[in-house]
Amino acid sequence: MAWGGGGFGGGPMGGPPGPTGLPFGGIPPEMQSGVERLLADEPDHGLPEVDFSHVPPETKPFTLGHFLRPHAPALALGIALVVVETLAAQAGPWLTGRAIDRGVLRGDFGVVLSIGLIYLAAVALHTVVLRVRTTQTGLLGQKLMYQLRLRVFAHIQRLSLDYFTDERAGRIMTRMTSDIEALSELLQDGIINLAVQALTLVIVVSVLFTIDAELAIVVLVAVVPIMTLMTLWFRSSSTKGYAAVRERIADVMADLQENLAGIRVVTAYNRQPVNTARHRDAVGRHRDANVRTARISAVYGPGAETVGALGTALILLVGGRLVLSDDLSVGELTAFVLYLATFFAPIQQLVQLYTTYQSGQAAIVKLRDLLGTAPSVVEAPDAYELPEIHGAITLEHVSFEYEHGRPVLRDVDLALVPGETLAVVGSTGAGKSTVAKLITRFYDPTAGRVLVDGHDIRGVTLRSLRRQLGVVPQEPFLFHGTIRDNVAFARPEATDEDVLEACAQVGLDDLVRRLPEGLDAPVFERGSSLSSGERQLLALARAMLARPRVLVLDEATSSLDLRSETIIDRALDAVLEGRTAIIIAHRLSTARRADRIAVVDSGRIVELGSHGELVAEGGTYAAMWATWESHLQDPHATHA
Amino acid sequence: MPYVPAPPASKYAPPRGHVDRDPSLSWLRRMRPILRSHAWLVGSGLLCAAATLALQIAIPRITMDAIDKALIARTHVLTPYVWAIAGLAVARFGLGFVYRLNLQRTALAIEYDLRNEVFSQFGRLSFSYFDRVQTGQLISRANSDIRSVQMFLAFAPTVAITMVSFVAALALMLSIHVTLALVAVATIPLVYVTGARMRSIMFPASWIVSSRMADVSTIVEENITGTRVVKSFAAEEHQLRLLARAAERLRWGNGLVVNMRAKYAPLMQNLPRIGSVLVLVYGGWLVIEGDVTVGALVAFNSYVMMLQAPFMMLGFIMTMGQRAAASAGRIFEIIDAPTDIEERPGAVDLVEPQGDLAFEDVRFAYGSGPEILRGFDLHLAPGETVALVGRTGTGKSTVARLVPRFYDVSSGTVRVDGHDVRDLTLASLRHHVGLVLDEPFLFSESVRDNIAYSRPDASAAEVEDAARAAGAHEFISELADGYATVIGERGYTLSGGQRQRIAIARTLLTNPRILVLDDATSAVDVQVESEIHDALRTLMQGRTTLVIAHRLSTISLADRVVLLVDGRILASGTHNELLATVPQYGQVLASAEEEYVRAHRKEVEV
Repeated sequence: MAWGGGGFGGGPMGGPPGPTGLPFGGIPPEMQSGVERLLADEPDHGLPEVDFSHVPPETKPFTLGHFLRPHAPALALGIALVVVETLAAQAGPWLTGRAIDRGVLRGDFGVVLSIGLIYLAAVALHTVVLRVRTTQTGLLGQKLMYQLRLRVFAHIQRLSLDYFTDERAGRIMTRMTSDIEALSELLQDGIINLAVQALTLVIVVSVLFTIDAELAIVVLVAVVPIMTLMTLWFRSSSTKGYAAVRERIADVMADLQENLAGIRVVTAYNRQPVNTARHRDAVGRHRDANVRTARISAVYGPGAETVGALGTALILLVGGRLVLSDDLSVGELTAFVLYLATFFAPIQQLVQLYTTYQSGQAAIVKLRDLLGTAPSVVEAPDAYELPEIHGAITLEHVSFEYEHGRPVLRDVDLALVPGETLAVVGSTGAGKSTVAKLITRFYDPTAGRVLVDGHDIRGVTLRSLRRQLGVVPQEPFLFHGTIRDNVAFARPEATDEDVLEACAQVGLDDLVRRLPEGLDAPVFERGSSLSSGERQLLALARAMLARPRVLVLDEATSSLDLRSETIIDRALDAVLEGRTAIIIAHRLSTARRADRIAVVDSGRIVELGSHGELVAEGGTYAAMWATWESHLQDPHATHA
Repeated sequence: MPYVPAPPASKYAPPRGHVDRDPSLSWLRRMRPILRSHAWLVGSGLLCAAATLALQIAIPRITMDAIDKALIARTHVLTPYVWAIAGLAVARFGLGFVYRLNLQRTALAIEYDLRNEVFSQFGRLSFSYFDRVQTGQLISRANSDIRSVQMFLAFAPTVAITMVSFVAALALMLSIHVTLALVAVATIPLVYVTGARMRSIMFPASWIVSSRMADVSTIVEENITGTRVVKSFAAEEHQLRLLARAAERLRWGNGLVVNMRAKYAPLMQNLPRIGSVLVLVYGGWLVIEGDVTVGALVAFNSYVMMLQAPFMMLGFIMTMGQRAAASAGRIFEIIDAPTDIEERPGAVDLVEPQGDLAFEDVRFAYGSGPEILRGFDLHLAPGETVALVGRTGTGKSTVARLVPRFYDVSSGTVRVDGHDVRDLTLASLRHHVGLVLDEPFLFSESVRDNIAYSRPDASAAEVEDAARAAGAHEFISELADGYATVIGERGYTLSGGQRQRIAIARTLLTNPRILVLDDATSAVDVQVESEIHDALRTLMQGRTTLVIAHRLSTISLADRVVLLVDGRILASGTHNELLATVPQYGQVLASAEEEYVRAHRKEVEV
């Protein structure tokens, strides 16, 4: 990959900017060497083997307990290490106090030295144990996350098409990203940290009580409630504050985005002065929101430090009196002062952890719902492989409704002989596309059955069924990758020759030859680098490579320019040769090519026959055809 | 009526300081005028920061005296020390508040200035700039780069002040006991070195993790949006394998972070503790020898911890500084980008033009690309409608962009009413030239505000009249909130034809003398097309119109058709004249609309 290089020293601009600066669009130049050094040691992960089955494995509901149980020994080891780690970490102040009392004040350097060595040993122990524990729990967490990602993703693969509504897409996405992240945070830092901090509190409090109960009570009563309340206040107000900041920055970005996207209109209408002032408002509101959160932090940070200093003063006051009455030693007083500092972190962190726990728990509930959702199209337990088909398709008394009581198809009977092309036409919402969805078993009919070569498609495995049907969906969706990846989608193992042949069949070979990278030319998300005609051809090539016996084609609704339509029509002629095909047609010029045409109206097939027969019949189709033809007239003729 | 709509009143003032225009200066020097405009905030912040840290250093010193004099020697009373500490603690709160807040506000004010400066620069930049860069990239710069500069500026002064306080604390310790002070800071270089090592891995490793997280998200996102394709080809297992690989790569990246943390975090936590051990043992010996007091031992213990912090931050701020410098460079690149289209000094306003439009021997190339227009001559009399026809890529749309001066010609002249467009003020020229693009860009504002885009003060009646004339009033009235409907909100989507009619109403309200219609490539169905054409005919009445024709049907709107071949006009006449006399005309049309023309010819033959 080519990077822009270090041309960003603030000097004059030399040529158009390179691809740097985009998030993840390339490595930022300032850390490129570091990234390369790390990546040099990465093993080739290959393409892992996975087992996928449409039948969900028998598992208990997803809870934290069930999720962690298989790893209980590893977790127990982690907790044991945490105990050692925390004890070693909190030894310092107590040892310092002892050294002062037993050694320094008595003039015995031997004691000071030996306590110093013990202290050093504790530090060394803490270093080693912390390292082992961080590695152990960290890698365990990563393993758990890896398994969870696969498990959730596999389940998403199983869910039927009805689950993937537009408004749900964002939520499914969230399950796989932020929910798993929230859970990861809980497992990585949350649970272990909770143990560390809670243990620290317990240890420090018990040490303080052992040294002097009276002073311990005074300190705890004075400091803990204030600190806890302050931290709670800080958490809730800064959470609100940051939410406001996020909203405001989103406004700023949206405004900026729109102004850049519409820069021609903005310029043409002389709107820069107005839009500059309006952008200033958005930026100003963002700044105000930021200042509000800055104020909260400016209270909390110094506030916590002041509480600490006041705590020291209190220990000196109360503890000092105890020292003066010889109820407390100077070393013990020192230990109290030093422990006070270690007291704050656990309180602050425990409040933080509560939030982590809440969002982790919420994520678990959402993931449980997702993993508990059963696919609506299920593979029969005794499903068998559909043998190689000839391509006879039969719909017997098929009815279908998406919502109860609102039938989309009513008692449809249809039979295609192998090699026949049938076009389904009708107005929007008449149920055309539903026919395609039932044959591919994206949905099961509410009543009746669909047969392929005499097999009820509910009895065969989904994979064997769909592998033998080639489907070209309405919107030609392209995946991020190369042209080869996209064409070979159904058969990743296909050779270049196979891919090129499929491209040639649809007339896409010209494009591939023209591109400097050929089959390796990248296709971007939503295929924006290709014209919509080329995208449709690519989708067609993808279906061709699957070498289907039956082709189900849901024609795109959005119209293409005529040139592309001509090319696609030509490609279709080649593709349909010798195949059974069902075309959900939106353009009558496509329908006209079919052997037979089925006209669907209100969920029923109202007319069935060849183009010539139906036009002659003078029914619905004939009327549609007449309208269609009138559209093709010369523009001058209508306005002459 | 003014050419430029007046900006609305706002409580937010424009930035007072601007980035230094001299690109040879270092980035911090270039930021200086902005920093200077916030001198009061910076000054008060820094002053309070210094005072806060002085108090922080004083507290262990008082504790030391309290222990030595009141508790061990018992020559002094305890309470004054306690009150002194309490007093300092309270004062520290006030000072600390001002210090944190004002330094933060400085950084935020600078962010505000930069965001506004970058935005106004976007308004000045010429289209040739936007042709070269991706919008997404610009937005990312405007966001993350400004953010990284802001974070550095918010953080750097604090670190600078802590460094000063380090020196002060060290001096104080040295005044108590020189060698003990040196022993106490002995581990600090190690803390710094360890921190530097950790960061050299931390930033690249987190970059790897976030880019791999993005990879996982891409696979999931595509899998969800492309779920029909996945299911159609029974590709679930392959998708799962792709995800497994991405998840494995993410796991490896996270493993880097885990190992880095496991290696360095224990050292970072325990090196200061070794300092404490050294202070305890060596200090204990010194106390026994009578060189220092027990109180000093306790105070040194506090200082050891206090002193490590700036060195942990120091390394961090250096890395942040590198990133901020890189970010500032990218921001300055925008600010320094040349603005090609500028008004000449002494440019005049175009006042009530007749609408005479002329291209005289125009040559044009995009940047250093091939010459697209080569001696293009065309004259449109006031009120005339001319359709420009040519093959894709011959520069038809370029001609459209030269009229409102989105680009300047390489040579030759574009004249409006005899004035070279470069002698006119940009605002007046653009006010009188209306541009209608085929894919009309509407803003996520109300329908009303979109129509009144050029005249935000237009009355409701004027807006409605324009909408009626554009044939848009009817469907707008049927929207849930009528003219107040916000486009794009709550799933309000308009069809292509509806959007086009709103754009036409927008142009109608501006009432330009000259119209340029660029009806690019996308097709709408026949019914919608005829509706749009009706609206366009209303719009074109009494105006000079240049139609960039990509489709045969748009030609019907024009009085005269000109054929553009190889960057110049080859022929001019009515559609039928050209069809009959110029063979290339038929070929050009055929290349774009094979079938259409075939159908048309058949009817002609019949």
